[in-house]
Amino acid sequence: MQVLLSGLAIGAIYGLVAMGFAIAFYVTRVINFAEGQLLMVGVMVAAWFARTGLDPWIAIVLGILAAAAVGAVTYLVAVRPVLAFDRFSFAWLVSTLGVALILENGAALVWGPTSRSFPALLTGTSVHVGSATLTLQEVVTIGVAIAAAIGFELYRRRTLFGKLGMAIAHDPEMATALGANTVLVATAAFALAGAFAGLAGVLIGPITYSNPYLGDTYGIAGFVALMIGGTSRPAAAMAGGLLLGILGEAANKLIDTQASDWFPFVVVVVMLLVLPEGLLSLAAPFRRAVRRARAPAGATG
Amino acid sequence: MSANALDLRGLRAGYGRYDVLRDVDLQVAPGEAVGLLGPNGAGKTTLLRAVMGLVKHRTGVISIAGTDVVRMPAHKIARGLAALVPEGRRLFVDQPIEDNLLLGALHLRRDKARVSELLESVYALFPVLRDVRNRPAGALSGGQQQMVAIGRMLMSDPTVLLLDEPSLGLAPIAIGEVAEALERLREEGRSILVVEQRVDLALRMCDRIYVLAGGEVALEEQARALGEDGRALIDAYLG
Ligand SMILES: Nc1ncnc2c1ncn2[C@@H]1O[C@H](COP(=O)(O)OP(=O)(O)O)[C@@H](O)[C@H]1O
Ligand SMILES: [Mg+2]
Repeated sequence: MQVLLSGLAIGAIYGLVAMGFAIAFYVTRVINFAEGQLLMVGVMVAAWFARTGLDPWIAIVLGILAAAAVGAVTYLVAVRPVLAFDRFSFAWLVSTLGVALILENGAALVWGPTSRSFPALLTGTSVHVGSATLTLQEVVTIGVAIAAAIGFELYRRRTLFGKLGMAIAHDPEMATALGANTVLVATAAFALAGAFAGLAGVLIGPITYSNPYLGDTYGIAGFVALMIGGTSRPAAAMAGGLLLGILGEAANKLIDTQASDWFPFVVVVVMLLVLPEGLLSLAAPFRRAVRRARAPAGATG
Repeated sequence: MSANALDLRGLRAGYGRYDVLRDVDLQVAPGEAVGLLGPNGAGKTTLLRAVMGLVKHRTGVISIAGTDVVRMPAHKIARGLAALVPEGRRLFVDQPIEDNLLLGALHLRRDKARVSELLESVYALFPVLRDVRNRPAGALSGGQQQMVAIGRMLMSDPTVLLLDEPSLGLAPIAIGEVAEALERLREEGRSILVVEQRVDLALRMCDRIYVLAGGEVALEEQARALGEDGRALIDAYLG
């Protein structure tokens, strides 16, 4: 039980970062390799504002907003120009990695390379669930992450802007021919992806403290969670994160207390060998069957 | 004299260094249905895409109801000036029919009354779509998918309607339904430019015909004036 719940708590963080990867990828087909660094931006900016004496809750909101803003700028500076030059270019691979390096080293330069404090709001309170004990922080993390995943999914399916995002994901040129400003929507997607990473950051901040190199660990874990969940729909990335969190905690318990450091890599290799399209690909045959059953008889010509 | 719904003068357009269209002049008067014929590779699709702003390299005049759009970004042209039923329909197959239609009216989204009015007019034109409006577009038959594509085009309430081979790949009954719908739109006084490979359909649906060959206008004639001789003439161009 403890493994399960602690796993969910850390997995929720991986899941939020993974959803950040997925949201940006979903609309633009670009993996933003600076996604983990956006988590770090959220942590660092929130910690910085908190140190200035600002109300910690406001500092946290500002941290999330900063991550969103840096996400939007990443698209405009590092992704859009290379895609405008050649729509099928893979140069974003290099340019987003470049952004990751700049953010990491920039943060180390501005705020110093060592860990500093982060406002601890909810870590002091314990919550007992059966035999297991979680901090209130962990409970809130799980709740926020699941609410964010559900909220995003509802937004994607129910609002015109969400539907437009799906349309752009499917056929960007056709969406343009319907009046969609794809640059605007892509920028918004990167900003939202940044906000998800920033949210993850302020949720994990009280445990990790603020540190410019946080982006590496969580970026990799989030990317692995994305691989587990698959890229067909962003909410699946949350499922991937939760699963990775539980597996990592189990590995810590059963194998070695540091196992969750290398464990994600083992998971991703196994995943790619067994289910290259992600966990949700298991459900694809069912969905195809449902669609066939619903199609009208003689659905040709 | 009021401006043409669509007016192309000296249009050159293509991909990269190579011009597919060379000095094309083509007009669609308000309320006129114009057919565009020509062999494969003549540049018909390129012409429609150039009007929509989807072809990057384009020079000359592309004027829609007096507005020059040759330098306008595609997403602005799509906001009430021109709308396209593309080759192969390109529906959002995973999304419901009604969402596909609503995505056609993006620029009108703040005018809810106008959007529901347009939606009603699409369902009036294609009553069968109303019953299946919550199904994913990909689950429909080809003919019904073409209706969705035409409906999505109409949802933006465009000045000029562009259709790229709307009958291609459809069963005979579906072709009849699509042709009938186009004739209805023509009677309503819409301005239409339709690429149609089947000469009989083009002559039936259109007031005027252009034949495009090798990126140039090879023939332009009133459909009425083209009798059996005209068909032979067009067939000669189509090769
Ligand atoms: N995306 C593209 N890139 C390069 N060349 C293209 C592209 N699309 C079409 N062409 C070329 O432009 C010419 C005209 O094509 P198209 O407009 O599709 O003709 P049509 O619709 O009359 O069959 C063809 O020679 C085709 O190979
Ligand atoms: Mg064509």
